[in-house]
Amino acid sequence: MSRYASLSDAELVRSCREGVSEAWNELVERYSRYVYAIAVRGFRLSDEDAEDVFQDVFTRIYTRLDSLRDDSALRPWIAQLTRRRCLDALASKGREVPADDVLAGEETADLTEVEEAFTIREALSGLPDACQDILDRFFTRDQSYKTIADELEIPSGTIASRIARCLKRLRTELEETE
Amino acid sequence: MPLTTDDYLDLRLGELLDRLSADGLAPGAGSAAALTVAFASRLVAMVARCSLAWEEAAGVRAQANAISERAVDLAHTDGRAWEDALAALRDAEAGGDADPRRSFSLEQKLEAAAAAPIEIASLGADVAALAALAGEHGDPTYRADAAAAAALAAGGSAAAAHLVRVNLGVRTTDPRLARALASERAAHDVADRMLESNR
Repeated sequence: MSRYASLSDAELVRSCREGVSEAWNELVERYSRYVYAIAVRGFRLSDEDAEDVFQDVFTRIYTRLDSLRDDSALRPWIAQLTRRRCLDALASKGREVPADDVLAGEETADLTEVEEAFTIREALSGLPDACQDILDRFFTRDQSYKTIADELEIPSGTIASRIARCLKRLRTELEETE
Repeated sequence: MPLTTDDYLDLRLGELLDRLSADGLAPGAGSAAALTVAFASRLVAMVARCSLAWEEAAGVRAQANAISERAVDLAHTDGRAWEDALAALRDAEAGGDADPRRSFSLEQKLEAAAAAPIEIASLGADVAALAALAGEHGDPTYRADAAAAAALAAGGSAAAAHLVRVNLGVRTTDPRLARALASERAAHDVADRMLESNR
């Protein structure tokens, strides 16, 4: 893992402005899924169009980073750039563009889901590795308590409690993020 | 008409019960076992929600709800697999046992029909474990609900393990059946302990 992975967005932006290429790599790594998810899930773009949006958004980020007024507001800025570029892509394809940036209910719900998923992923990365691992096993990989206990070599009877404690820490992380 | 809907949750409870008793098609015993585990899991979620002083309550509730969703998914999966197996059984009956391809296909369908009950039995054990936690640390007012949840989970697990045994037609040394039986035992032990201490 790059040492830039632990930086806050504001610190990362500062390093990018100083021209540190590793910081740029981290920025792309941190936000590539986010940009792509907005394009595909929020605006229902094809993979090809989403790829164009992806390239264009990161080019704009690279060339316009100095115009970002609040370094800690990197994420909303990227979201705004991506949304605008998605609307351009829809217009160029002759598809109906939502008036005044207003999206249909379903699309708004999907964008909210993307935002939430990203927020949770960020908060998860702040947890100890053991917590990240056990939450991933239970909630993402649908592993049973017994499987988790066998693979991690910890008593089966303690798994549910461990998961509950990790969820509590995740909640604290999320509250601190807000 | 067989229940091919992708969402049992869209049915009213009365309609679902009617479907259960309507004919031999899905939903059948496997789906009923899965939904029993889902009911048990939601009961645990209720106990956790009502246990305001319990620090881990929110985390237990989240796990219970996640297990419940998996159990409902398995009710669908089991229903579909059972319909496939039933069709293959009828096909085999109509054509006799002479065609080896047909009997191989039937065997495969029956193995597939055993896959969901293995998972259902395992979920039953997980729900029983969660119920034990809720019974021990949750609000004592709801201890009987936690014990009832464990009993339901054990019932669902036992029913599912039985279906694994029947569908696979194997000895207890088969690892798939052994896994299902271990889940059944684990759920059963927890339920027995909770019901006994709750008398």
